[in-house]
Amino acid sequence: MAALPAKLLKVTLIVLVLGGMYLLALNKHAERDQLRKISVDLTPSCKEKLQGYALAAAEHYRSPYVRKMSGAWSTIRGYSEDDVRAIQRGCNIVDDLQGNLANSGARERWNADRFVRGTHTTCANCHQGVGDKQDAVGNRLVGSNSLGASWAMADMYDRFTGLLLPHELRQMQCYINSSNGFKPNAADDLIRDVTAYSRFLSAAVDLKIGNRYPEQGMDEIPASATRRRGDDYVRGAQVYRERCASCHGPQGLGTIVQGRVLYPALAGPQSFSLDSRMNFAAVNTIMPGFICRNMPLGQEGSLDNQECRDIGYYLSTLPRPAGDKQGPLVAAWQQLMMTVMPPLTRYAESLGSKDTPHAPAD
Amino acid sequence: MPTNAIASALPRIVAMLRANLLVGLTLAVVTLPQAIAFSTTLAGLPPHFGIYAAIWGVLFTALLNPSRVFSGGPNTTMSAAIGITLLPVAPPFGADYVGYALTLILLAGLIQMLFLLIRPLGRMLDLINEPIINGLICGIGLFLIFKSLTSFAGLPINTEVEWPLWIAWQSFLAVLEIGNMYAIQIGLITLITSLVVRQIGFLRNWAILIGVAAGTAYSAYLNATVGLQNTMIEQIANLSSVGFVFPSLPAFNQEAMSDIISILPGAVTLALLGLFQTVAAMRRMNRKIGGYTDSRKGIFADAVSNCVLPFLSSLPTCASFNRMWLVYSLGGDSRVASAISALILLLMVLFLAPLIAIIPMPAMAAIIMLLGANMIVWEDIKPHLKNRREAVVFMASFLSVLFLDLFGAVVVGSVLAIAYSKWEQAHPDISVRGNVLKVRGNMYYGSLPVIESTYHDVMKREGTVTLDFSECYYIDSEGIRWLTSAKAGLKARFVDRRGGEDRREVEGSGKADRRARERHDARRRRERRDRRRHSEF
Repeated sequence: MAALPAKLLKVTLIVLVLGGMYLLALNKHAERDQLRKISVDLTPSCKEKLQGYALAAAEHYRSPYVRKMSGAWSTIRGYSEDDVRAIQRGCNIVDDLQGNLANSGARERWNADRFVRGTHTTCANCHQGVGDKQDAVGNRLVGSNSLGASWAMADMYDRFTGLLLPHELRQMQCYINSSNGFKPNAADDLIRDVTAYSRFLSAAVDLKIGNRYPEQGMDEIPASATRRRGDDYVRGAQVYRERCASCHGPQGLGTIVQGRVLYPALAGPQSFSLDSRMNFAAVNTIMPGFICRNMPLGQEGSLDNQECRDIGYYLSTLPRPAGDKQGPLVAAWQQLMMTVMPPLTRYAESLGSKDTPHAPAD
Repeated sequence: MPTNAIASALPRIVAMLRANLLVGLTLAVVTLPQAIAFSTTLAGLPPHFGIYAAIWGVLFTALLNPSRVFSGGPNTTMSAAIGITLLPVAPPFGADYVGYALTLILLAGLIQMLFLLIRPLGRMLDLINEPIINGLICGIGLFLIFKSLTSFAGLPINTEVEWPLWIAWQSFLAVLEIGNMYAIQIGLITLITSLVVRQIGFLRNWAILIGVAAGTAYSAYLNATVGLQNTMIEQIANLSSVGFVFPSLPAFNQEAMSDIISILPGAVTLALLGLFQTVAAMRRMNRKIGGYTDSRKGIFADAVSNCVLPFLSSLPTCASFNRMWLVYSLGGDSRVASAISALILLLMVLFLAPLIAIIPMPAMAAIIMLLGANMIVWEDIKPHLKNRREAVVFMASFLSVLFLDLFGAVVVGSVLAIAYSKWEQAHPDISVRGNVLKVRGNMYYGSLPVIESTYHDVMKREGTVTLDFSECYYIDSEGIRWLTSAKAGLKARFVDRRGGEDRREVEGSGKADRRARERHDARRRRERRDRRRHSEF
């Protein structure tokens, strides 16, 4: 009969562990409910953005932006207190994914940094203007990666996998590739809040669901949009040194001042992965499009199409993390390159700078 | 007289039928929830796929496989392989997905047919040893637990492959933080009920069914009090319209071709996973019941069934360890039990469909978790960890499931199996006493470097070497060439005590003598080979 108590003990132990996990789940659920009830401290950009759109809990919502652009008020169903907080949290996540501006760090951003590997990533790096980039007059810009237009697009066929992806799953791809991170569950609050914010943006600027708007996605630059001299990363490196290196650093490792990311990394462990569509080697039209429309900050449009493609090509030659689907071998190789290449390049460039004064111009 | 013979045999037939009827009934009842869980939560296919595998797959293999306690049907790892292969190709449960799934199964069946037709390929399956299979099974068991976490908590499954452990960890945290509490309650009730019932001796085999019943009852209670629109629990669809056979066609057309090519590695994985399990299960059960059934017959049954099943909307079939164990422990002694279970299942599906329809998905996920945990058996693992070489092979195979995908794990497993057997042969036991060097084992290209190094050590020390291969049972042609060149140096002397050659070495001299001796030797060698072949048995 020695077997019976042992068996009993085993079953009791398992039941206790399961019960403990259940209690833990209850506790975590309660914590989450509480977090979602406290009012949200907005980041400066979000405060400006949401005040500009007059977000408040009310029976009806009327957007000042629509009034300004079309001259007429349009009235739609309003938002509840819960909705407003969800939209505000979504805006905070887009503007400050890592919680650098938050008082209580990651807690306020609801686990956002759990799903990214690097410390530089923020949605607003690519989705500029907190996902809603406008010029001085208030016109939305072509190919500005607008989140509102992305939500209005609803389901979209992914041209690489051929899958019909809803907005939530497209957000997941941002986490996997662009931030070199992990995939949140489609029902995660992180995804839901950003969706709420995107949806609010599309309502605030009066986009109609199911339409394709020009501000959605990138304004891509295919090779046919150049004079077809061919892309050249040596030329790209030259332009990069002249126009980009002052902010993003000579090797694209980003600029951090007093613990705050001023300019995000374009290469190295903190940047997007090899699988990302921002990587020129994966899709050779997206990164150039982003550069031409959005870079350098304050001098947008000063680079021509060929220069943007060259820069994109050069950036894709810099070491960066492997994508999750590329397997352990590629990952190990990229890790090695990310460790070895920066000092080597620095050394090579120091030789070059020593040579330049001596070498007379041919 | 035939009537007399029948009359005298009748009690025996009735007794056998009655015994196997009970086994068949138990088997059917145990298989049903598994079949539904495999097709819906693992393969991403409608529930009738699993049920048809439990009907037609079991029936076909029972008819084609002569092994006495063989039980085929839907299988965890094969269902998981279908889900993993197809998730990146099409959204689950859709028409495209079903078409690709059928194509995948057919391809796997055809690949299995290759293993039947090319005899050495089928023989290669016997090289997969227990540590590799147990490593794969343990890894897959762990994977099944992680995999069903999201459906356990009523969360949407992500569309891409959820393989790596860190994603599983994220899923676990998601369950704790945002899981549907009603779903978690249903899952826990199912899990704990099954666990407790399993400990009660005579109910042991009914544990899963009772667990699912408890989960379903609680779910029905929630539906009545809270309402399905508030609990948001997913349930199995109503099968009553499906009928007892549902013809289907695999997708083969121009547009599908690129996707079909991309799922080919998945088809190879599926075929191999099925054959590994069938061959291993037959090997294990053969030893258990003390008989012998050629594993080629198992391959034949699987290959033919899997070529037919995709036309009947069914999951692929292969041997099931746990159900074969069930048949064996209930005293089932013929294939009749499996056939009866298939027929009973058919009747159940035809008449109990409305009951099946209200089974909640979290209960199915709980069942998958339980089965996953059951696949990790400490008694099976323990002997592997005692032997260092086996431990390495086991751990490599186990970890490759968790860190690579299933295809990678199968490749690693196969390579390990070959390396394992070669390594074994490449290290013959060499003992040195004075200048006598005795080789126990094989003398072939792999083991020659080991033998040569010792040979030259002894040669350097002693000046002459006597090579004793009395206990050397295989020499390949490269070994013979090396022996010839060693002999040419005049410092080596060969000894084989089995043939008394060392004695003749001393006696024999002269050319004619040597020729006669060679003829004599050749004859003796032939005889010896014959004798050895007999002595093996």
